[in-house]
Amino acid sequence: MDELLADFVAETREMLEASSGEIVAWEANPADRARLDAIFRFVHTVKGNCGFFDFPRLARLSHAAEDALADCRNGHRQPDSDLVSAVLAIIDRIAAMVDAIEAGESFPEGGDEALIDALGQSDAHLPASGTTTIETSGTNPPANRAQQRAEPHAKQRSIRLPVDLLDRVMSGVSDMVLARNDLAHRLRSAGNQPEIDGPFERLSTILSDVRDAITRMRMQRIETLFAALPRMVRDLSNDLGKQVMVDIQGGDVELDREMIEMIRDPLTHIIRNSVDHGIESPSDRLAKGKREMGFLTITARQAGNLISIVVSDDGAGLDDDAIAQKALAMGLISEDERGRMDRDSLLQVIFHPGLTTAQSVSSVSGRGVGLDVVQQNLERVGGSICVTSTKGVGTQFTLQIPLTLSIITGLTVDVSGQRFAIPQSYIEEIIHCSSKALDFTRIGETGLVTFRGKRVACLMLSEVLELAPSDVAEEDHTMIMVRLASGDLFALAVDGIHSHGDIVVKPLAPALMRARVYAGSTLLDDGQPVLLLDVTNIAEQANILSDLSARLRPSESEPQHEATHQPCRAMLFTDFEGRNCAIRLELVQRIETITSDAIDYSGSRPRAVIDGVTLPLAGLPKTRRSDDNVGEKLRLLHLSDGDSGGENALVYAVAQLKEAADLTNPLKPVHDDPLVEAITLLGHQSVSVLDGHALFAQYGDRPQPSDRPICRLPEGQWARTILGPLVTHAGYAIADLDDDRADIAICFDEESEDIASPGAGFDGPIVRLRKGHEASKSDATIYQYDREGLLDALKQARSGKGAAI
Amino acid sequence: MNTLLVIAMIAGRRCAIEAPQVASVIEIGAITPVPRTPDYIVGICAVRSQVLSVIDGRIAIGFEADQFPLDHRAFVAHQDGDAYAIRVDTIEDVCTALSEAEEIPGGFGEQWSKVARGFVETPMGPALLLDIEALILARDAFGAAA
Repeated sequence: MDELLADFVAETREMLEASSGEIVAWEANPADRARLDAIFRFVHTVKGNCGFFDFPRLARLSHAAEDALADCRNGHRQPDSDLVSAVLAIIDRIAAMVDAIEAGESFPEGGDEALIDALGQSDAHLPASGTTTIETSGTNPPANRAQQRAEPHAKQRSIRLPVDLLDRVMSGVSDMVLARNDLAHRLRSAGNQPEIDGPFERLSTILSDVRDAITRMRMQRIETLFAALPRMVRDLSNDLGKQVMVDIQGGDVELDREMIEMIRDPLTHIIRNSVDHGIESPSDRLAKGKREMGFLTITARQAGNLISIVVSDDGAGLDDDAIAQKALAMGLISEDERGRMDRDSLLQVIFHPGLTTAQSVSSVSGRGVGLDVVQQNLERVGGSICVTSTKGVGTQFTLQIPLTLSIITGLTVDVSGQRFAIPQSYIEEIIHCSSKALDFTRIGETGLVTFRGKRVACLMLSEVLELAPSDVAEEDHTMIMVRLASGDLFALAVDGIHSHGDIVVKPLAPALMRARVYAGSTLLDDGQPVLLLDVTNIAEQANILSDLSARLRPSESEPQHEATHQPCRAMLFTDFEGRNCAIRLELVQRIETITSDAIDYSGSRPRAVIDGVTLPLAGLPKTRRSDDNVGEKLRLLHLSDGDSGGENALVYAVAQLKEAADLTNPLKPVHDDPLVEAITLLGHQSVSVLDGHALFAQYGDRPQPSDRPICRLPEGQWARTILGPLVTHAGYAIADLDDDRADIAICFDEESEDIASPGAGFDGPIVRLRKGHEASKSDATIYQYDREGLLDALKQARSGKGAAI
Repeated sequence: MNTLLVIAMIAGRRCAIEAPQVASVIEIGAITPVPRTPDYIVGICAVRSQVLSVIDGRIAIGFEADQFPLDHRAFVAHQDGDAYAIRVDTIEDVCTALSEAEEIPGGFGEQWSKVARGFVETPMGPALLLDIEALILARDAFGAAA
């Protein structure tokens, strides 16, 4: 409401400013018809607006002026100078009242009648209403009025800017980012220059701050879009003889202004659809035991870089049988497919062009054009839509849209000597073609790869773009697994990956867009322009876009028994006894590198502390003790049984890490070492394959947080953001504010008495800080930025040598 | 009269473009080709972090480009908010028109008529007055019709 009010004030001001010239001209020549019309329009608009806001005094004033002016326009009355002055007085009063409304205070009562009377009209023309109403929303007692009036303009917190200007600033900042990238590139190639690099870093930081701010400037609350919806639903339900209640949530979610425009039509369409088809007539609803009044909920939520808008109604729900019949009749799906599709996948058919289940075509919807356009429009901006519905209970549409259009994360790839960018959001995975698991084959001219057990179409980007075939051999390609918004998956073969990062998308000229494979262009760090690929359109042109996402099914061409022959992927390494070992790749979570002093030999078995978590350590030679090879770096395989929720984990130390490989030869079970499952041949070498089960049975354990000493910090921002990381780095955990347990406390000298007092319940060592550089009365404090001193004190306290310092 | 003109050789003919239609003349750097676009679109290039579409003026009008020399500079012109760089044989000079644009009986030939507004007298001799907008859109119309 506040925002609408601000809009009203701003609009009225704008009109006042615009018409002030007219008023003056009209004063000079009361017979001037054009001026009269302009002023009439002004008071008319004000009247309309304040009726909306319930400002009866404003309404009365503008109404009276409007009546008088209408009489002049009709020729019932000749404008004379008295009338002109009276109208001008009213306009002045309106301006003053608008100021008061903006300042949130009440306008002095009285005086309105005199102004209205001056128009020379009888009260009979005026709307009957009390004269004592106070219309402003302010709550200040009148006593404060004088003081408030003194600074009415100081309260103005917003300005109106032309959108063009914002766009220009935005594109200017985008260009600045590009120029910065260019400069960064040049600086890198010029080598290290500390005296330039420092300021350049600063410039970069400032620039990204500014960019964030500008991006926010372009943000608009989605309220601006939602505000019109209740009215639309009301009109629509009246037309259709239905009763619908609208509940709107999340109007404060902010979205790129451009994006709001892009989703306006799709959203409107879905809502019309819901009211028309979803919600039943009151009598039907009563018959079904529902409330007479239908319920429509529109919710906006932000999740990371995505906004989801959910439109749900409690109507009849989608009729999947009717949809299926229609889809069968249109040949979209076969009987066979129909049998295998679950309800949810079937429902997505409604986004197919030409499909409507409406019994009759109404003026509102049901012409079979619409949801497909909605889907297309959303996909064009990188969004998606899906529907869920329960028959008889309701339907829910979920729209997902990215926050902004112009800056996205992208991957740049090389193909046939040229470079292209692909929006990161589409990329599911990147796989090198040599990987056996990918199993690239050509069926006729079409490439196929196996991805997660499914046959997936593969497009050669060089062929899509009609480029010369690249020098890179087919098996050396890199496959980019692209997941489209519709859920379709395909592989795009490129020669190699160049880089990835934020890219600023610039529009392309229409003649270039007509190629229908580009979404825009961007500039690389070196200033070279690069085309951004439109993967959705590429897929569409290659006809690999299934009509229904449900058509994506496990490849049936692949017989089941082949699966067991799939090569076992394993990580190869040499253990500390010099054996060639392998461990199944699925077990390996990641590779860790630690120094040997992070190993704890105190228990019966060695343990390693990684990122504050203690894990059992296997694979070390049994003879190894803590005093061996201090400071040596150790490579560990972080293994996990992958049972999410309560997973067991351990780390396995290796002497030398080799590559991952496919174990294609048969595995020969062995029984002499309990930790070895089998041996196999790889090339000409025998490899022991570790037994995952035995490993976990013997070593596996739930990861345990290490018992780091807890440190209590002084309160406040400085301690949290500046001191905290240093203390964490020194190996301490930070105590919660309300946590009494702490092994050590850091405090400012002046507070130290409170903590050290017996009542505080803290008897550990205390590190005292001072804010000043100079040591004051005692030497027992440490200057707050004396990093060495602080670390030293913490270390001493930890080893238990130091008492309170 | 007295209009400033940019004089260039395009497909071996002397052409004039009204200076206000030309935003600037740039040195063409590296051009990124754009696959799957008509041949008159040479590619895109970046100038001061702006992306320009590079058009070969000769091909756009309907000639073979390889019969003519190619200037390392190009005109920049704006059309519907997009910036285009137009490549020509040579960019010669800027001078003042000595006459208004005139039609000549019989026209200028099939290709030229689409992009010409008439001919003007210049200190360098008579030149064909080109309409940049028509030049940019010359082949576009074909594309749309096809």
